[in-house]
Amino acid sequence: MADSKNSKRPIVIGLEVHIQLNTKTKLFCPCSTDYIGKTPNTNVCPVCLAVPGTLPILNDSAVALGARMGLGLHCAIQNYSNFHRKNYFYPDLSKAYQITQYGLTIAVGGYLDIESDGKPRRVRVHHLHLEEDAGKLVHPTVDGRLTGAAYSLVDYNRGGVPLSEIVSEPDMSSPAEARDYVVRLRQLARYLDVSDGEMESGSLRVDANISLSNADGSLGTRVEIKNMNSLKSLERALEYEIARQNKVLDSGGRIVQETRLWDDAEEVTRSMRNKETASDYRYYPEMDLAPIVITDEQIEGFKRAMPELPWEKRDRFMKDFGLSYEEVEILTEQKELARYYEDVVAAGAPPARAANWVRMEVLRVLNERGADISNFSLSPSILAELVKKVENKELSSTIAKDILDMLSQENISLEEAIKRSGASTVRLTGDLLGEVIDRICAANSDVVETIKTGQDKKGGKVKFLQGLVMKETRGQADPSEVSSLLSKKLEG
Amino acid sequence: MKMTVDREVTLRMARAAQIRLAPEDVDHMMDSINDILSFCALVGDLDCTDTPDFTWKMKKLPSRRPDTVGDWADREHFKSMAPTIEGDFFRVPRIHSED
Repeated sequence: MADSKNSKRPIVIGLEVHIQLNTKTKLFCPCSTDYIGKTPNTNVCPVCLAVPGTLPILNDSAVALGARMGLGLHCAIQNYSNFHRKNYFYPDLSKAYQITQYGLTIAVGGYLDIESDGKPRRVRVHHLHLEEDAGKLVHPTVDGRLTGAAYSLVDYNRGGVPLSEIVSEPDMSSPAEARDYVVRLRQLARYLDVSDGEMESGSLRVDANISLSNADGSLGTRVEIKNMNSLKSLERALEYEIARQNKVLDSGGRIVQETRLWDDAEEVTRSMRNKETASDYRYYPEMDLAPIVITDEQIEGFKRAMPELPWEKRDRFMKDFGLSYEEVEILTEQKELARYYEDVVAAGAPPARAANWVRMEVLRVLNERGADISNFSLSPSILAELVKKVENKELSSTIAKDILDMLSQENISLEEAIKRSGASTVRLTGDLLGEVIDRICAANSDVVETIKTGQDKKGGKVKFLQGLVMKETRGQADPSEVSSLLSKKLEG
Repeated sequence: MKMTVDREVTLRMARAAQIRLAPEDVDHMMDSINDILSFCALVGDLDCTDTPDFTWKMKKLPSRRPDTVGDWADREHFKSMAPTIEGDFFRVPRIHSED
């Protein structure tokens, strides 16, 4: 199938991203939101089970987190918003309606700047609204799907958990842009402590609206895709849908406005239902809840409490530490990693070298162990000491990497790790290094002869000798000095 | 003043409510709606001069609550009221899918 880059028609994508808010309790009742792995129907109460006579009471933290996310997206926080009932009859809703914001939402009209394929792009945000999550259905079939199920089972532990839904304008024009938007949004949510943003556990869910424009530039018929539980799924589902819609239109067919489900195993989208319109849901105001009133003073308070945002940190790192955009993008991807890097620099490590060590070595060790920076055992101050020793040429980079591996695996001091590595912090330089090089050259006179007679066109033999010197010195020599002294020796 | 609906309004109401109405049922629906309207109109004939206002002392609920976890002790009682339970789940009848 042709990919999106070869699409004959312009691609128009808008995303609806649901983010589970990082509250302790549900949106309208004091049940815990910690439902992963819990026995079904234990985090429930009369409110979220919709027992008649109960009344919802809004969680204050959900309002604050929704406003904070809205501010991060450059939205205007509304002084007045309210909740509606969105009616649909499905057993994952205990009340047969979902309490959600509609029309008057907590935040409107923002944007998120992303970079995709090396180009900056601004994706406008239509609005952010608060709503409650539905329960979880389990279908007792072989493949767990609804089709063929004689009955279904419901777990309401998730029912009522607070979500913020962020609705973008249709400003993305490729699956890669859609992915980059979600990545940036997730980063923002994590920086703001609004959500953990884990797609695998369902804390962040994406529905995509996609259409192909007509020849006259007007928007084509929109199709909604659901059930994408990873960034890879999102991209693949959009790629598939672009190819499918192009094929339908090429053969003279027309696109039906509908909701389609992404089948991750088969890598296809399947028609789920005709797309609902707002009137299908019979929205009407939730009379059991007072409107959300946020005063200007409260909004100012939310603004003052905002932490440094990812792009602000990125710009500051570039300015203060003289790092490149690419370096800073990696360092600021997670705020915990950015903080770690800042602590390493604060402990005296040179910013540029510290950036290399955190980006390359710390991330390598974390990846190898499947670990997270927040529980990385090597303290920033110890790493700073190690980096300083490399900077001062007391240790070679090679030996310092081995030492870092040791320090991250065992609870030992830097001195002990240096001792165990066999390296001396005394550098092998000048005459001492020259003696080693003389010895290596004497023992490999045939190689030296090959180089001197100009037969080592690609420089492989020189590198061979350099490697022998580094091995002999056990990393106590500076590679650039080895290279320089060896060149002089071979020229002589 | 008594209101009435005609066939056209009846059909419009059915459309608005997304109720499919067979042609032979329209007159019956129209008559039923008019009966209800007639009954409601009786309220207008009541003499309410000496009827006191109904007052209700309602507990004032806060519009928002702190994010503090509470535990509901009578969970099992509510689960036992469900029509069907299977293990820890509520069991619901077959869901008809569109595929």
